[in-house]
Amino acid sequence: MWEFAARSLNASTVFTIAALGELIGQRSGILNVGIEGVMLFGATVGFIVAKTTGSYLLGCLAAIAIGGLIAALHGFFSITLGGDQVVNGMGIWILGFGLTAYIGYPYTGPLGLERIPGLLGLSPFFFLAIGLVVLTWWMFSKTSLGLRIRSAGENPSVTEVSGINVTRTRYLSVVASGMLMGLGGAIYSLSYNPVWSINFLLGWGFIALALVFFSMWNPFILFGGSILFGTLWQLSLNPQLVLPNVLSRYIWRTVPFVITIAVLVLMSTKWFSSRWGAAKPQALGLPREEE
Amino acid sequence: MPIQPVKRGDTVLEARGITKRFPGVVANDHIDFEIRAGEIHAILGENGAGKTTLMKILFGLLQPDEGEIYVHGEKVTFHSPLDAIHLGIGMVHQNRKLIPAHTVLENILLGHPKAGSIPDLKRTRDEIAELCDRYGFKIDLKAKVWQLSEGEKQVVEILKTLYRGARILILDEPTSSLAPPETEKLLESIRIMTGEDLALVPFITHKLPIVLTISERVTVLRRGKVTARLRTADATENSLAKEMVGREVIFRLEHVEVERGKPILEVEDLSALNDKGLVALKGVSFSVHEGEILGIAGVSGNGQQVLAEVLAGLRKAVSGRVLIDGINISRADSLERWKMGMGYIPSDRINVGSIGAQSLVENVLMNYYFDGAFSRWGIVDSQKTRKLTEGLISEYAIATPGPDSTAKSLSGGNLQKLILARVLSRKPRLIIANLPTQGLDVGATEFVQNKILEAKRQHAAILLISEDLEEVLSLSDRVAPIYEGEFMDIIPVDQARIEDIGAMMAGLKRKVAQP
Amino acid sequence: MKLGDYEVKLEKKVRVTGWEATTISLLAILIGLALVGLIFLQAGVNPLTGYRAIFSYAFVNKFGLPLTINRSVFILLCTCAFIVPMKAGLWNIGMAGQLYGGTLAAFGVALAFGAKDPQTPTLAPGIVIPLMMLGAILGGALIGSIPGFLKGRFNTNEIVVTMMLNSIGFWLIAFMIKEGGPFMGGGGEGQGFKLSESIFAPMVWGGTFTIPIALALAALLYFMFAKTTLGYQIKAFGLSPSAAKYSGISQQNVPLLVFMFGGLIAGLAGYHYFAAVPGVYKIPTNYGDFGDLSFYGIICGLISQGNPLAAIPFALLFGGLTNGGRFVQGQLQLGYGIDYALLGVLMITLVAFQFFYRNTIVWKKMEREK
Repeated sequence: MWEFAARSLNASTVFTIAALGELIGQRSGILNVGIEGVMLFGATVGFIVAKTTGSYLLGCLAAIAIGGLIAALHGFFSITLGGDQVVNGMGIWILGFGLTAYIGYPYTGPLGLERIPGLLGLSPFFFLAIGLVVLTWWMFSKTSLGLRIRSAGENPSVTEVSGINVTRTRYLSVVASGMLMGLGGAIYSLSYNPVWSINFLLGWGFIALALVFFSMWNPFILFGGSILFGTLWQLSLNPQLVLPNVLSRYIWRTVPFVITIAVLVLMSTKWFSSRWGAAKPQALGLPREEE
Repeated sequence: MPIQPVKRGDTVLEARGITKRFPGVVANDHIDFEIRAGEIHAILGENGAGKTTLMKILFGLLQPDEGEIYVHGEKVTFHSPLDAIHLGIGMVHQNRKLIPAHTVLENILLGHPKAGSIPDLKRTRDEIAELCDRYGFKIDLKAKVWQLSEGEKQVVEILKTLYRGARILILDEPTSSLAPPETEKLLESIRIMTGEDLALVPFITHKLPIVLTISERVTVLRRGKVTARLRTADATENSLAKEMVGREVIFRLEHVEVERGKPILEVEDLSALNDKGLVALKGVSFSVHEGEILGIAGVSGNGQQVLAEVLAGLRKAVSGRVLIDGINISRADSLERWKMGMGYIPSDRINVGSIGAQSLVENVLMNYYFDGAFSRWGIVDSQKTRKLTEGLISEYAIATPGPDSTAKSLSGGNLQKLILARVLSRKPRLIIANLPTQGLDVGATEFVQNKILEAKRQHAAILLISEDLEEVLSLSDRVAPIYEGEFMDIIPVDQARIEDIGAMMAGLKRKVAQP
Repeated sequence: MKLGDYEVKLEKKVRVTGWEATTISLLAILIGLALVGLIFLQAGVNPLTGYRAIFSYAFVNKFGLPLTINRSVFILLCTCAFIVPMKAGLWNIGMAGQLYGGTLAAFGVALAFGAKDPQTPTLAPGIVIPLMMLGAILGGALIGSIPGFLKGRFNTNEIVVTMMLNSIGFWLIAFMIKEGGPFMGGGGEGQGFKLSESIFAPMVWGGTFTIPIALALAALLYFMFAKTTLGYQIKAFGLSPSAAKYSGISQQNVPLLVFMFGGLIAGLAGYHYFAAVPGVYKIPTNYGDFGDLSFYGIICGLISQGNPLAAIPFALLFGGLTNGGRFVQGQLQLGYGIDYALLGVLMITLVAFQFFYRNTIVWKKMEREK
């Protein structure tokens, strides 16, 4: 039973870190629906580097770098070119989906490295995730940088007029968010499920997106949500732990996705939606207006 | 750059030959003026006169093509608002450049160089409190800005500029969204500030009485040029208006007498919530008759928008009844109301009243697509709609190359004409006009007001929502001041005194005192 | 920005003409192909040789051409399924889930008529085929109605919901055709049962009858958006939901309608490939690949700027590229998944070029300073 719990928490780590990345980007006003694409890049590049060099550290660093780079591309399309952020995010996702299928194929199969030693079955990344959650909360509520990012996401023209370079602030957030997403992807392919196959992230990036909305941009709620989804995912892979021999295992695989939809519907209830509307960065996803 | 000590009357800012061109128009044409410490120098001009451009140049949001700016006698170039702020220039905007979701303290602190990586909140609070004492402001630093009144929001903006060390304040339409009592408070604050040798430059479009009340000198802009420099003591409303517009302006509209018919709109005990879930309308009851204009006067945010939306079928009421021509339409959706003869002129002409990317023909279709005469068996009769649009363009003198141009290519005044044309051409029996002249210049305002009177002559029942008290009083037959979702009273216009209405709009009075 | 004697500026476009849009789209494709050409180089293949091989197999080869056309019809249908909600400003990336739903419904109908059982007497195509198509349409519409309803009623994010349904649909099919599921084909190879010959889709002029259906559908959609009241309402909603609301256009019904419409078209795509294409006539083991192929509908929809008729040549192009790519990658030792790489690179190039639909680069010779 504990093993199930540990695996769930390890799964949740991926969600937490990737979703934290998107949270930071969204609070600065940039919406990236292509989280899956960034994560796929991080996961695939990290996997390839780790496999060829034998070093987990290099793999993670490579993943962080590629994640930041791809997100910077999204930033370029969305901030500098001022394009529709949803279109751009879709582009990032399909780019990731398509390109990683090609570059990763020769590496299909297990990673083949010794597992990273953990604590009580929990990977060290889980503790890293907790640290990042607290750090993110602290940054947003106590520092000037956090205030600047939040303001850029609420109202960029007010922020600009107060003397802050909104473009630079947003790029910073987006690159940071990409680095975290890349890391999340790498944790998936190096620690949680170290076997490469095409599209092996199976929609986790979209679940992470839903998580960010669900969390109402609060890192602690996000952490709780990640744990929930990590658990659901493990459950869908091991239904025998809860309800043995009920329903085919394929039906069980649909559970995390169904629950995600259910959560989104829950978010439309009165109680939720008014708080959500108030917490939402007002400029999220919107192009910069001409002054 | 350190702020120099100045004496009252010293020139603190001088602009020489400021010129700025945009494709097709010279927005500022060799403008000269200077601002002195301890003085209120108003800059007056219609929309399109170049006010906004000049303001942006002074604040560093735009660079002039030609001309120089001198602060304390030294030539300066602003590359961004940051440069202007460093030199002690602050701007208080019309649309409140504040972040509603953040607290007053966070808004004041945003971007402040003294804040450091981790701001010392206690010290900031103390410093701001000291400022408040000095200038007589009372504000709760922990409050979220969306909770504040318009006047309080303005105080926050002023505090923000003062905390950044501003000694020259540019005020963009400072009184346009304030109720009369809040305007009084603002004038008090302005007097205290000039007493401290700050220089204040209000930019104003058409609140001419305010200009006469508060300023000492006036510079008038028309079509990008300075047309007059006066001492306020030497000016009158008429002389100023003439300089602004270039011709005699008639201030009072002819009052149109039409026989009042049966009630077309009846509202009983209507209550509704706003987007935040708070009560915006509290049991409002009234009726509007054929051939009459009922004017709702109020400062923005007192429930007028919610009322308009509920009546137009765009928002559900919580309780109460609405009847059109005796038929209960409380459950009817917006489409049914259009079909029943309602016409709604929305306050947001860009996002609600029109579709910018579409052509004028397609925009006219917005109120015609459901009309059997223009669409049969699900197919739109594009030729007929086109002819209609062409007719409307010429009847309303809409300045546009043709019916295929996009709605967003129209200027504000022409867009409003299009919307008016579209709605009024359906000959609605009930017209809800929501802030119909907001943001329009004097010429367009006149046009719209006359069209409304024309509709009245044709016996339409008209509900007019406006934040311009003068407009309400000159157009309406009965006036209903609204405050916090309630009608303070409904008064026939000949019994309405402007001071009473103003007081009711601020919630200070209910029901006209009986003589 | 200054470049030598010229000043380069960006100006917002007021309107994009059809010709301009086509030029931009073609340029985007060329650049995308060139970028993938870099991948060819990296694998030691001359890009020109590579592309020539791809195009000749796809369009000239007598075995390759019909395969190309079948793929192109599939892509065209997915594109139309994407375009309808796109006009309403909504993102339908759930063509995969919708086509899975339609496929399951169509094969469910066949199953109900006993198609799985080899003992069943020959089925009457006149009855079963239309019913199968109806099933596909309803199945797709049903899946599509979920994001549509949720969006209209609760403003739920349709991107996440459609994506979730893609995964849900994927696993539902797995359930049906694997490990003893009801649709399992004989021999337990993890694929669905094969349709009997009597209910193979009829061929028309040497191609499946779904070809003219797809073309007619594209024409119908074009007409709908250009001329009808319904099309007007959808477009208005897509451009400005608040203005549409003001005009009395239902905020709840439009999303539901466009997603059901899109879903039914995607359902047809599933029927087309799995029940109408010669040589298939079953749900194959690699059905997931077709779910992936449906994403080409997104690219095709974007590149044709939402014009269903313009989508036809682009769908043909993409059908050929993916078909040729798959065929040729083994031959030229390009590495598996070149069609996926094409998908990714073409998409991002397109997205980058979106910029040019909105802005023009203006070159102005600067006046010399006196």
